[in-house]
Amino acid sequence: MAFLTAHEMERYDRQIRIAEIGKRGQEKLKNARVFIAGAGGLGSPISIYLAAAGVGAIRIVDRERVEASNLNRQILHWNDDIGRAKADSARATLARLNPATRTEAICDTITPENVAQLVAGCDLIVDAMDNLPTRFLLNKTAIEKNIPFFHGAVHGFEGRAMTVIPGKTACLRCMYRGPIPQETFPVIGVATAVIGSIQATEVIKWIAGIGALLENRVMVYDGLAMRFTEFRIQKNPGCDHCADAAEKG
Amino acid sequence: MGVQVHIHRTHRVSTDGKEVVQAEGSCVGECLEHLVKQYPGMKEVLFDQKGNLRNIIEIYLNHESAYPDELKKTVNDGDEIHLTFMLAGG
Repeated sequence: MAFLTAHEMERYDRQIRIAEIGKRGQEKLKNARVFIAGAGGLGSPISIYLAAAGVGAIRIVDRERVEASNLNRQILHWNDDIGRAKADSARATLARLNPATRTEAICDTITPENVAQLVAGCDLIVDAMDNLPTRFLLNKTAIEKNIPFFHGAVHGFEGRAMTVIPGKTACLRCMYRGPIPQETFPVIGVATAVIGSIQATEVIKWIAGIGALLENRVMVYDGLAMRFTEFRIQKNPGCDHCADAAEKG
Repeated sequence: MGVQVHIHRTHRVSTDGKEVVQAEGSCVGECLEHLVKQYPGMKEVLFDQKGNLRNIIEIYLNHESAYPDELKKTVNDGDEIHLTFMLAGG
């Protein structure tokens, strides 16, 4: 366990003052290793807020290069990053924000063949993908590795988030009925900001061991109606991902 | 009294912009049949060519997932059905 330096005590003073976090919670954040799948619309606020909060290590993976059409929401990348690998751009942005966070940015496609290696050594997986097949792959990997999975997704002004604790809660696959056609989705940056911030909040709470997580419930956000709606979901005993998962002791 | 069916924003083009539609039935499937009778455009939204519920559609009954066998779930007067879909964007 790495302890806080005088500089870190100053840098994180405002959140150390939160009773539920305190010095102990800040130390937990410093010692955490987070895997973020995607450096796009969701990956931007997630990685920025986790680095700002003092998470010790972030591994972020994205295979794409920055395009002009990304810039309405992907705030890790700026205009002069167009054409650059998102992984490189993310590394540079996070390093400027918080040099103490060890950022490992990997330019690669997440596949069934490499996913175990990509997430190796991380305490949790954050879903910041833009497609369902990779989300399900990450969900399955999290369950196999017995580490939490923090799901988020957006569409237009809408988004949703839920947290999966293997062996304890329903998982993303528990309501799976079959493949869904892929499409280019509409989205506005403020929607990814809301959902990514919820995911980052869940991650911070889990690392610090505080609060009530989005377990067995999905939080749906409608930005146009400015309304949050919560739906309860149940663990599916026949789920092909989590039916046999045992809770980590 | 019937059941209130909440229509997702992207599907309201098929319900004349209505966010909530009243429907009658003893189970979710019957309520959706009644919904389609009132707004035929909802048939293609909810069901594929074989009449199966589309994979992307999610149904919540009284704020709880109706999965699996969603269409067979019993409903009572005053119940609420939310129709939404699985989001994929990031």
